[in-house]
Formats: sequence, structure tokens, C-alpha cells
Amino acid sequence: MNRITEKILTIVPEAVVGTNGEEIVAIPKESFRKVAEALRYDTEEPMDFLRDIVGMDWGEEGLGTLYYLECTSTYNRITLKTVDHDRENAFLPSVCNLWKTAEIKEREVYDFFGIKFLNNPDMRRIFLREDWKGYPLRKDYDMNSNPLNMENEINADDTDEYFLNPDGKIEGRKNIVFGKEDFVVNIGPQHPSTHGVLRMRTSVEGEDIRRIDPILGYIHRGIEKLSESLTYPQTLAMTDRLDYLSAHQNRHALCMCIEKAAGIEISERAQYIRTIMDELQRIDSHLLFYSCLAMDMGALTPFFYGFREREMILDIMEETTGGRLIQNYNMIGGVQADIHPTFVQKTKEFIIHLRKVIKDYHDIFTGSVIARNRLIGVGVLSREDAISLGTTGGTGRASGWSNDVRKHHPYAMYGKVDFKEITYTEGDSFARYMVRMDEIMESCRIIEQLIDNIPEGEYRVKTKPVIKLPEGIFTSSVETSRGEFDVMIESRGDKSPYRLHYRSTGLPLVHAMDTICRGGKIADLIAIGGTLDFVIPDIDR
Amino acid sequence: MDYYNLQPILLGIDRYMNSIMPGWLVTVLEGLAVGIFIMLMYIILAIILIYMERKVCAAFQCRIGPNRVGGKGGLLQVPADVIKMLTKEVITLKNSDKFLYGLAPFLVIMASILTFSCLPWNKGGEVLHMNIGIFFVLAASSIGVLGILLAGWSSNSKYSLIGAIRSGAMIISYELSIGISVLTMVVISGTMDIQGIVESQAGAWNIFRGHIPAIAAFIIYLIAGNAEANRAPFDLAEAEQELTAGYHTEYSGIHFGFFYLAEYLNLFITSGIATTLFLGGWMPLHIAGLDGFNAVMDYIPGFIWFIGKTFFIVFLLMWIRWSFPRLRIDQVLALEWKYLMPTSLVILIVMTICKVYGLIF
Amino acid sequence: MSKLKNYIKRYFTAIGSLLIGMRTSMKVFMQKSVTEQYPENRHTTLHIPERHRAMLYMPVDENGKNRCVACGLCQNACPNGTIRLTTATVETEDGKKKKVLEKYEYNLGSCMFCQLCVNTCPHDAIRFSNDFENAVFDKSKLILTLNKNNG
Repeated sequence: MNRITEKILTIVPEAVVGTNGEEIVAIPKESFRKVAEALRYDTEEPMDFLRDIVGMDWGEEGLGTLYYLECTSTYNRITLKTVDHDRENAFLPSVCNLWKTAEIKEREVYDFFGIKFLNNPDMRRIFLREDWKGYPLRKDYDMNSNPLNMENEINADDTDEYFLNPDGKIEGRKNIVFGKEDFVVNIGPQHPSTHGVLRMRTSVEGEDIRRIDPILGYIHRGIEKLSESLTYPQTLAMTDRLDYLSAHQNRHALCMCIEKAAGIEISERAQYIRTIMDELQRIDSHLLFYSCLAMDMGALTPFFYGFREREMILDIMEETTGGRLIQNYNMIGGVQADIHPTFVQKTKEFIIHLRKVIKDYHDIFTGSVIARNRLIGVGVLSREDAISLGTTGGTGRASGWSNDVRKHHPYAMYGKVDFKEITYTEGDSFARYMVRMDEIMESCRIIEQLIDNIPEGEYRVKTKPVIKLPEGIFTSSVETSRGEFDVMIESRGDKSPYRLHYRSTGLPLVHAMDTICRGGKIADLIAIGGTLDFVIPDIDR
Repeated sequence: MDYYNLQPILLGIDRYMNSIMPGWLVTVLEGLAVGIFIMLMYIILAIILIYMERKVCAAFQCRIGPNRVGGKGGLLQVPADVIKMLTKEVITLKNSDKFLYGLAPFLVIMASILTFSCLPWNKGGEVLHMNIGIFFVLAASSIGVLGILLAGWSSNSKYSLIGAIRSGAMIISYELSIGISVLTMVVISGTMDIQGIVESQAGAWNIFRGHIPAIAAFIIYLIAGNAEANRAPFDLAEAEQELTAGYHTEYSGIHFGFFYLAEYLNLFITSGIATTLFLGGWMPLHIAGLDGFNAVMDYIPGFIWFIGKTFFIVFLLMWIRWSFPRLRIDQVLALEWKYLMPTSLVILIVMTICKVYGLIF
Repeated sequence: MSKLKNYIKRYFTAIGSLLIGMRTSMKVFMQKSVTEQYPENRHTTLHIPERHRAMLYMPVDENGKNRCVACGLCQNACPNGTIRLTTATVETEDGKKKKVLEKYEYNLGSCMFCQLCVNTCPHDAIRFSNDFENAVFDKSKLILTLNKNNG
């Protein structure tokens, strides 16, 4: 039992430490705020990064949430659990004034489980329509309760907030998002630069942005709900369709989680291949990032440069995996197929080519005075805000927050290779851009260290035909192309998960748009959106 | 170099027509003929320019560009697009100001055609000839911004409005730089008559005569002209990544076609005026001392010189367009007011001093 | 004074950076384009990796027999219900009851190429082919019967 758990037990003696799967501290809902505050403002080890809030339906036990916390200086992690036994009228205290990211994550829990969070100023639905009936991720949800609705959805200009009044009763009030005097420009869902079907209601004054209200869910497919009725191998097929530019890494995370839970040891060869593939995918994603950022800023020529080189990566990957976007490569116990005979040679050639051609990228875009003026000093996100908003990945690292999962919680081969974690301190758009450009080179270095040393061995270990996980809650986290991606599985011993949750890397980024863009220009909004580099299918799981 | 002077031929035709029909009919017929000629040239040039832009931009982006319609080169792609645009429905919007909405594209295209008519195609080959020609060009081109503003306002769309206001702020600012750099050239030529400016460059083109200040003025003219023509990196009025299509978001069919045509012809006009002012218009390239070379150059007709030089500048502008990211509105205005305007004023003064002390060639 | 110097320095570094950008774009202008012209290059440069998953098929031996034993594992493995087996029970000569395949229906329209069916098949009776040109005008044409050759 570590120090943090002990501390919780001294504050709340009735807390229960569960060790089913991973260590989880269950805290009664009445004293949850107290614990959360104590952990957040701990003097030695403040748990200042809220990785995720996962809503849960524990049936008889009631509805509840899991809080995944991490300390950004020691990288220790802890998971808290709290439950409300009243299924009809579930209320939990909000933690959004401790971690800003809770604002949007609690909305997600509310949307799917109907747990209302007291004192969260924005308790609207997030992914589903405002007139949706029921809460779909509950186990007692009636699948027929929402027939196809052809009516237009009118977005309310105000939000609901619930709070406890002094005599212990719960009351609601409205908070205004956009007033009558606001000039609201609707950016998206069909817009060239929102990188998918994201919609941002933006109130502007002239060209200056006053507030952004992201509206999500236009391509929500309910992957988490779907996965509950699929066997473990079948759930793998969904991961490529989350953040399609991190297909390998997403699948890697889920495979790792299942392997960890089922106690499957995978061969070193498979570990090497997975790591190389992850890094290739990262280069692929960052090249696309470069392309899209350039295009968002009106430079169409660099856009094609990025695509030209990305095409080569896709060709290399297709040779081995058989897919370009939907890779379908990692399997439980290893990888789908051994690397193609030409893979090593082609990858090495590509890296040599990329190192040569990357100069052009910097000449035409990075060095250009126009691009620099558009990016430097624009959209500054401070380190505190980045941590509080949970913007992992390049966005956080650009603000000086060292958050690379590969470094701090190494998995696969990352503990054994030598690579630098790129961090900048400026936190502006240019830093976010440079983080990604430098990471391309770091990824090249990682691949170069591994590619010649892939050990012989089997690429996939034999697994049982039907994979069943022991009871408990299991998690794994990887660094995808745009941040920390976590998988959480609650297993009840079946061949399919009781609950499967993915941490969206993009949701905190979209949430951060409002903080970053305020006071900027409309053109900055597009450029900042480009540098944040979110992928919508990852948000709308 | 007078082999290709069009004036005697045109005057001859005029005299002949006057001898067989009444004077008013001659004026009407000539007006009609010239009008049709301008329109035809306008359309043909637009098609050539659009095709050229597509091919050039493709080459900059490691692509092939149009390559299917009309053989391997995709030559018929643009005509096919024109036909498509002509046959598309012209949409009228609910809650828009119908009159202004319909008027705006005509204002834009009118401004463009008016300026187009002032280009000196050849010796004696100019449609609108007046002694303050270059001044008229500046004035007429300013009508275009009115059309853009009206289009944005009357569309009843927020994107259009933002685009139009951006465009208004930008074009009005950049007219200053254009005006001053044009003035610099007027100083060196000593006349505002377009043909006069070309004639004055018979010895050497202005860009050589005016050496350093002229080259600087040329660069400023290109930047400001690019902005005037609403082209990247100054295309923030239509900024497709921000405002989908800016001021013409809500236009369809031939109304949109007018904006599109005007945009490309403005590119040509900007280049044409640059040719006239800096590169000697239809004047052939003469190098002092090489008489044989000069004589050979004189055999190339003036309009080929003019079109050749203009397309050279068009290519230069395309090169710029496909190299740079877009500026932000405050940066566009800062660039004009903090950099281009002061510079062009300095150049104007330097040029005047050069002229006064005879420091030009 | 240093302010003016800065102004002038900024002025020229800015122009310099733009010229570098233009040089780069001109360099690419001169290079060969990388476009692949798809329908034209079908028989020349088009390369489809052999592992590419385009469509499920049943390999047959020289007698036109497939290897399917109608066990139904692929049907169960599919997350989408893409595969539907129709089986019949026949009696073999030695009097044992045996399941045989009657119809192997595969809905290309709902297949998401996860390869679970191929992985799970114990007899290597189904594989993915490279024939990717599967566009049809009618959705019903996407429902394919894979074992049509040998009933």
C-alpha cells in the first residue's frame, strides 16, 4: 500500500481498497470532495492531472464513476471510485474546480449514465441530442426508446447547473452561454478546417473571439456500448476506427490491456514490431498534421509535401499489414502477420529520404515569416492550464509539461531505446507545431535503433480460442500520436467486457479550444485548431 | 518598330465605314464590335488563366492537374467547367437583399472589364485611350470593392459579411501602395497617358531606367496588386479554410462565375498594368549598342511582347500564391501601413530626386 | 536607434525567408509529379500488396472443391454478422451424420475486414483476395455466395 492510499485512509477510514485487477480506492460519495481536494492540493505529491473520469453502471450497487489521477512530478497514479446507490436520481459532487477537464468529462458521464454532478456549471448533453430519452450506457437502457428522429435539433443557449441549497435539497439553475447581444458564428459541422464533423459555436466581436462552445457527437457511434456485446478479439476491430491516425497505438493499448489481464506473455519480436509500427504511425500522423496545419493557414503547397511522404509510409505499412488507414495489425498475443520481407529495407530507405526532404518542409513553411507571425505568440496555453485541462501529447509538451507515457510509464520496447522527450516552454501555436516536427525526427531515431535488431522468434504466441478475462478492472495506457490514450476494461469473467472505456485524446483538446482561443482572431481559431491536432472520430467514440 | 502599328489600319476601317453609312451608325457598330471583342478576349483570357493556374499549381504541388477532359492535357476541363457554371441554377436566398445581391457580381465584373479596356495591347491597340489613363485605371478598379462589400452585406450570411468587411479594409488600404508605386512610375515617365508611358520606355524599360527605386516599386506593386486581386497570401476575403468562400459563399451559377472570372482577370489586369508601368508594355527588349539584336526584337509584334511579359508576371504571382501561407487580417493591415506604405513613400521621394538630378537612364 | 535597426533587420530577414520559401517551391516545381493515374495504371504501375484485404473468397482445389467443413466458427467470429452459413446434415456411407455446407453467404457491404474469420478458420477454407474493384450500383449485389462453384 503506497503513501497516497494511506493518506486517503487517514482522511476517510471507511474507504475500501479494492485489489481486483488494479488497485482502486472506493470512497463514499459524501466524503469524496474532501479526498479529491486533499489529493489535488497535497504538498508532496499533488495529483494535479485528472487522466479520465469513467462512468460506470454497477447494477445493484448503483451508478458511479472512476477517477484516474496522476501526479505530474512523480508520475504516480491512483484510481478512485465513488458510487451513488440511487439509480433514479444519481448525484455526485463535481470536481471541475479542481481539474478543469472534469467540466467536459462529467458532461460525458451525465450524457451516458445520467449522473448529475453538483456545481458543474454545464450539465448539458454532450454527444447525444438534447431531447434524447434515457441514458444509453446504463445496463437497463431500452434500445428502442429513441427511434430515428427527423426533427432538427435546436441548441439551447443556456446550460443547466445543479447545486445543493443550504437545507440539503438539490436545485437547478440556468447559466447563459450566448446572450442575445452575441454575434454567434457557426463553424462546422461541415467546415473545411474543423478536421471532421466538429461544430463550434463561436461568438465573435468583429474578428475577435469571445467564446467557443464546441458541439460534439455528429459521428458518435457508441463504440463503448457496442464493445459490451462483442468478444475481446472482436472489440479490437473498433480501435482502428477511433483515432484513425493512431490506429496502431490504439490497438496496441487494447491488446496490452487484454494481455495484461489474461496473463499472456508476448514475444520480444512482436514487441519490436509493435514499437516500430507505433513510431511509423506517429510519423504518418505528424506528417498529416504538418499538411493540415499548412492548409488551414492557406498554404496549399506544403500540404502536398506532407502527403507525398505520408504515402510512402502507407505503402510500407500496407505491404506488411494489408491496410492503409484501417491497419488491423496488432492481435491478442502478438501481431497479425510477420513483417514483410521488404519491410526493413524500405523503412530504412524511407527514413533516409525523410531526413533529406524534411529540410524542404522547414524551408517553405517553418521558416516563412508569414507562418511564424501566424504561430508565434498565438494561442498560448500555460503549463497549469495544460495540466488542468488534461491536454496530453504534443499540446501539453509544448507548454512545458513532460507527459510522454513512453518515457514515464514505458511499455513495449520504449524502456530500452534511447529517445528524447521533446518539450517546449512557450505553449504557443509555434511550440505545438515544433513539438510535432521534432517528434518526427525522434521517431526516426527510435525506428533506426530497433529496425536492425528485430530478434528472431514467433510474431504471435498461441492463445486460447476463447479469451476470458478474470474479474476486475484493468487499464493500460500508451502514447498515441496526439496524447495519452488509456483503455479501461471492467471484466466480470465473461468473454466480452462488462464495460470498455477509451480515454479520448481529443476531447480535452477540443475543450481547451475555448481557453486558448479567447481574444484571438477567427484566423487564429483555425490555426490553433490545426496545431491542437484533434481527430474527431476519437472524440465521438 | 512601326510595322505592327494598328492605328493606320483601324483609322482606315473607320474612314471606309464613314464613307458608306451615316456617322451615328458607324459609332454604334464600332462600339458593338469593340464591346464584343473585349468580352471575347475577356472570356478567352479567363479560360487560359484558369487552365494555367491549375496546371502551374499542380506542378508546384507534385501533381499533374487536369488531365482527363479533352485529351491528355485536360485542355477542355475549363470550358467544361464554364458550361457547367452557365447551366447551374442561380439561387436567390431568403431574407437577402435581392436587388443588391443581384447587383454585386455585375459591379465586380464591370470594374474588371473597365480596367481591362485600358490595357495597351499594341501600338495603337488600346480600347479606352485618354490622357489620364492610369488614373482612370485606379479609379475604375476601385468599383470592384464596392461589389464585394455589397455581395457580403446582401447575402445575409455571417461568413460573407466577415469576408466582405475584411476585403473592404484590405483593398482600400492597399490602394494606397498601388497608387504611390504607380505615381513613382508616372514620375519617371512624365505622363499619365498609358500609351505615353509605354512610348517613354522606347529606349529602356522603366525597371531598368529607374534601377533600384524602380525595382523596389515593382516589388511593392506586385505585393499590393496581389492583395488587390484578392489572391493568396492575401485571399482572406474568401479564405476557404476560415470562411468557406468568404463574400461569395452564397452565390451560385453564373453569379458566382462572374466573381470567379473577375478574380482571374484582375490577376491579368494587375500583371498587365505592371507590364505597362515597369516592363515597357508592348515595347520590345532593346539593349543599347546591340543594333542587330534590337532589330530582330522589333520584328516580334507588340501584342506578343505585351502578352508574353504579362504572362511572365502572372506566373510570378502564381509562384507567390502557391508558396506562402495566408496572412491574418491585422497582419495584412500592419504590413500595408507599417511597411509597404512608408517604403513606397520613400521610394517616391527617391525617385523624384533621381528624376530631378537626372540619375535615371 | 536600435529600434530602427531592428525594424530594418526584420524587414530583410522577412524578405529572405520568403525567398527561401519560393526557392523551395520552385525546386519542387521542377521535380516530377508523383500522381498515380489510377485507371490508366491498372496494368502497369499499380501495385496491390498481397496482404491487402479486399474481399473474402474460398480457394478451391483442382477438383473445384473448397475446404469448408461448415463448422460455423467464422460466422461466430464475425463482429458484424457478415457471414451466414446454410448447412445441411447428410449421412455418409459409413452411416455417420455429417454437416455439409449448402450456402456460404458473405455480405461485402458490412464486412469491416478485421480478418477474424480467416484467423479462426481451422482449415484455411477462406482467404482475402486482392480484387478491390468491388463498386456496384445495387446494394443487393454486395451479398455474395462464395461457394457457388461446387454447390
